[in-house]
Amino acid sequence: MADYTKPLPEVNEDNKEFWTGCKSHELKFQKCKSCGHIRWPASIICPICHSRDLQWIVTSGKGKIYTFAVYHVAYHRGFENDLPYTVADIELEEGPHILSNIVGCSHHEVRCDMPVVLSWEDITEEFSLPKFRPLS
Amino acid sequence: MVISYGHNAFSSDSMRRMLIERNGDDAVFGHFGAAAGYALAAQRAMCTFHTGPETWKHIAVGQRKWANLNPLATMYQRTMSFDDYNKANWVVEPFRLFDNCLMTDGGRAIIITSSERARDLRHPPVLIAGIGQHNPSSDVHQATHLTGPTGAKKSGEMALKMAGVTINDIDACEIYDCFTYTVEITLQDYGFFGPGEGEDWFKDGTIEPGGRMPVNTSGGQLSEAYYMGLTSLSEATMQLMGRCCERQLGPTTNTKSPEIVLCSDNGGILQTHSCTILRRS
Repeated sequence: MADYTKPLPEVNEDNKEFWTGCKSHELKFQKCKSCGHIRWPASIICPICHSRDLQWIVTSGKGKIYTFAVYHVAYHRGFENDLPYTVADIELEEGPHILSNIVGCSHHEVRCDMPVVLSWEDITEEFSLPKFRPLS
Repeated sequence: MVISYGHNAFSSDSMRRMLIERNGDDAVFGHFGAAAGYALAAQRAMCTFHTGPETWKHIAVGQRKWANLNPLATMYQRTMSFDDYNKANWVVEPFRLFDNCLMTDGGRAIIITSSERARDLRHPPVLIAGIGQHNPSSDVHQATHLTGPTGAKKSGEMALKMAGVTINDIDACEIYDCFTYTVEITLQDYGFFGPGEGEDWFKDGTIEPGGRMPVNTSGGQLSEAYYMGLTSLSEATMQLMGRCCERQLGPTTNTKSPEIVLCSDNGGILQTHSCTILRRS
């Protein structure tokens, strides 16, 4: 873990609960107490009804691939050994979309609308990343 | 009023830094830059309606033919075949090298004044007949408009209405073409063809010299030069003034002499859009 060379999450007041949840392998999002909208990225105000009243909920970690892109070029040295790798926009069962990676299969097998589940990657003492693999 | 743009994007790393620099926690997952953002949009389009490299090759090759008539174009002396397009390396799949625009050292400027003052100038003036803007979202990862309608739909409707014309009156288009897919989705949302009909619409040289709807007649940002929205606005203006020499629309290129040209610009990952309709005075 000491030689982890990729960018690390930047924790702030909005997303602290999210990354703390990830550390204990829980994928958490804010749910608006007023209109029920589950949102990502984290923010102090609901983008739908503008309420500041919120609670954090743990989601199922299941979803499907809304879209994806396969990198054949590394824009950061930390990803050179991963080429080709897949970045995907995952539509979670609970509604929000999240950007992540598809792991556990060849990039040739990745398809839009493919069902996926969480696959945690513990990268440092402080951080675990929510990645996704095909639902087998 | 002068609107200008200048940049040493090719020889310096400033454009690269702007595009690749960390964008929130996307970098944690190895997601950087504009090519990958538009690749996400293009991939979703491929699963939503009929499109993909077989459509985009007509855009890349068609625009290159215009660049081959433009001595100022970066790719003036380099022809491109469908085979060249298909053999190019992937950058961020589904985009190959020639789906991506250029990075350019240079600049462009246009001068805007009242039509009254313009009458006394050396070159025939071009009128701004209509403008429209629509900006559908700020957070692209939550967006569901990436396969249309993008901001092009409402912007186009606004601009056409202001100009008092319809899509059938447009003689040529100068479309913001950061990537080939951007040209397809923009023309589709303006209403030139329906979702998935792009391949049929583009094939047989529709947008090329001699085609029935010339698009990006300087070579565009894919093959002439990347000057943001000024590549399209300056080319439309020059075409309407009749100052484009070998690539001039009309008898020179076996196309219709232009009266009305539509220009587009967009920002972010299809998050903002502007449409401008220019007219010969």
